[in-house]
Amino acid sequence: MNPSLVRKLPLVIAAAAALALPFVVTSPTYLHILILLYLYAYLTTSWNIVGGFAGVLPLGHATFVGIGAYTSTVLSLQYGISPWIGMLVGALLSSLVGVLIGLPTFKMRGAYFALATIAFAEGIRVMVENIDYLGPFQLNGPRGLQIPPLKTGLASFMFATKEPYYYIILVMLAGVIALTYAISRSKLGYYLVAGGEEPEAAQALGINVARAKLIAMAMSSFLTAFAGTFWAQFTLYIHPKSVMSLDISFEIAFIALIGGRGSIAGPLLGALLLRPVSDFSRIYFGDKLPGLHLIIFGVVLILVMLYQPRGLQEPLTRIYNRVMDRMCGGREAAA
Amino acid sequence: MKILELTKVRKSFGGIKAVEDFSLSVEEGEILGLIGPNGAGKSTLFNCIAGVFPPTSGEIVFRGEKINNQRPWDLCRKGLARTFQIVKPFATRSVLYNVMVGAFATTDKRAEAERRALEVLRHLHMEDRKDMRAGNLTIADRKRLEIAKALATRPKLLLLDEVMAGLRPTEVDEMVAIIKRLREGGMTIFVIEHIMRAIMALSDRIAVLHFGTKIAEGPPHEMAHDERVVKAYLGEEYGAA
Repeated sequence: MNPSLVRKLPLVIAAAAALALPFVVTSPTYLHILILLYLYAYLTTSWNIVGGFAGVLPLGHATFVGIGAYTSTVLSLQYGISPWIGMLVGALLSSLVGVLIGLPTFKMRGAYFALATIAFAEGIRVMVENIDYLGPFQLNGPRGLQIPPLKTGLASFMFATKEPYYYIILVMLAGVIALTYAISRSKLGYYLVAGGEEPEAAQALGINVARAKLIAMAMSSFLTAFAGTFWAQFTLYIHPKSVMSLDISFEIAFIALIGGRGSIAGPLLGALLLRPVSDFSRIYFGDKLPGLHLIIFGVVLILVMLYQPRGLQEPLTRIYNRVMDRMCGGREAAA
Repeated sequence: MKILELTKVRKSFGGIKAVEDFSLSVEEGEILGLIGPNGAGKSTLFNCIAGVFPPTSGEIVFRGEKINNQRPWDLCRKGLARTFQIVKPFATRSVLYNVMVGAFATTDKRAEAERRALEVLRHLHMEDRKDMRAGNLTIADRKRLEIAKALATRPKLLLLDEVMAGLRPTEVDEMVAIIKRLREGGMTIFVIEHIMRAIMALSDRIAVLHFGTKIAEGPPHEMAHDERVVKAYLGEEYGAA
C-alpha cells in the first residue's frame, strides 16, 4: 500500500468514527457532552489562528462568541431573519470588533496584550449586562434572550433532538481544522509565526507584522462568532454570563496551552482531554465540590508547562510519526 | 551607477548624536566595508538605511528613490535586505522554514518559496541542515542562516552587520568566500565588520566611522596605514607610529 495512504488511514478512521458515533451513543447526556467537546475544539482552533500562530495570548474571545450569539438571536427574534444569515452578519460584525480591538492592542507585548483583551471583553460584557436596548435592538440586559422553539428544521437552525446539532458542529469543526491547516502552510501562516517569534527580523524580511496579526484577528473573530450562533441555537437561551463570560475565554486558553498552541492537533487534543474532565466533575461533584474542574485544569496546566511546554501535541505527534514510520517501513519492505 | 547614496545623514537620540553629517555612496556591484570602534554609530547607520527608524536629517536614496521614511518591510520588497548583529532566527522552526519566510517576500506560492529557499541553502552549503531546528544551530550556522534568510528575499543590496563576529578563523575564511561569491553573482554588499583580516580581504573600499562622523574613506591598504584610523582604534599616543 502507498505510504501516504497509510498515514492518512488514522484520519479516515477518526472521521468515520465521529460520523458513526451518534448511532452508538444514544444517551442525550453523552451526546451533549460530545457536542460541547466539539464546540470547544472549534472555538480553540479558531482562537489558535491568532493565539497560536501569531504568538500572542488573547484572553477575550468570549466577546466574539457573544457577538455571534446576540446578533443572530436579535435578528431572528425581532426581524424574523434566519439564524443562518444572522450567523454571517454576526461573524462580520465580530470581525470588525476584532480588528478594532486589535488595532491598539497588538502594539502591546506579552501579558499587557492579554490584560488589554480581558479589559475589552469584560467591558463589553458589563455593558450588555446593563442595557436593555442597544439602539433599536432589544438585549434584555442580564435576563438575556429566549428563543421560542416554534418550528424545528434545518432552515430555522432548531432541532428537537441532539443528533443534528452534533453533525452541524462536527462539520464546522472539520471545516475550521482544514482552514487552519491551509493557513499554517500558506504565506500568511509563515508570516504569523515569524512575526510572533522575532518581529524585528520578520519586518526586515518584508513582513508587515501588524497587518498580518490584524488579518489573523479578523479571521479568528469571524470564525469564533459562528460558535456563538451555534451555542444560541443549541441552548435556545442566551444571557451575558453564558455567552460572554471570562470563563469561556479562559477555558479556550487552557485547552490551547495544554493541547499545544500553534499546532493543528493541539486544540483538538486539549478539548478531548479537558472537556470530559469538566463535564464529569460537574455531573459527579457539582453539588459538593463546584469548580473542581478548574482546580484539575490548573494542576494539569502546571504539569504540562513544566514537562511539555509546547503542549501535549508534541510527544503525541512524535509517537504517531514513529508508529507511522514503522508501519510504512514494514510495508515497503514487504513489497 | 550608485545603488545607495547617503547625503549628510544625521541621527540623534535626544541629546546624543549617534551619526553626524555622514555622506557616502555605494556603487552597484561593489563590496563596501564600514569599520569603526565600538559605539561609533555603525549599527545606527544601518538601522537608518533599513528603515528601522528615520534619520533626524539628511537624505537616503536607494536606486534613485528617497527612502528616508519608509518602513523595513517595504524596503525589503524593493530589494534592500539586512542581517542583524545579534542573530534573530525563528528558533522553534526548521532552517528551511526560516529561509522560506524570506522567500515569501517575492513569491506567494509555497512550492516556489520552498524551491528558492533550498537553492539559497545549497548555495551556502547548508542543505544538509535544512530540517534542523534553527535554535539548535551552532553560532557559525546561525550567522549563515541570517544571510540565507536575507538572500531568499532576492535583494539588490545586502547589508551585513557583523556576520563574522564570534566565528573561528576557518569559519571566517568560509564566510569571506561566501560573500565574495555573492558579489560575483552581481549583488552589492555593504558590510560592517570588526575582524580586520576579513574586511581587508573582502572590501573594494572601506569607510571609517568614529564618534558618528566619517573620518576616512578609501581602498583597504590605505586605510590600514591612515594615521586618523590608527588613532581612532589605538588612541592618540600610537598616532605617530
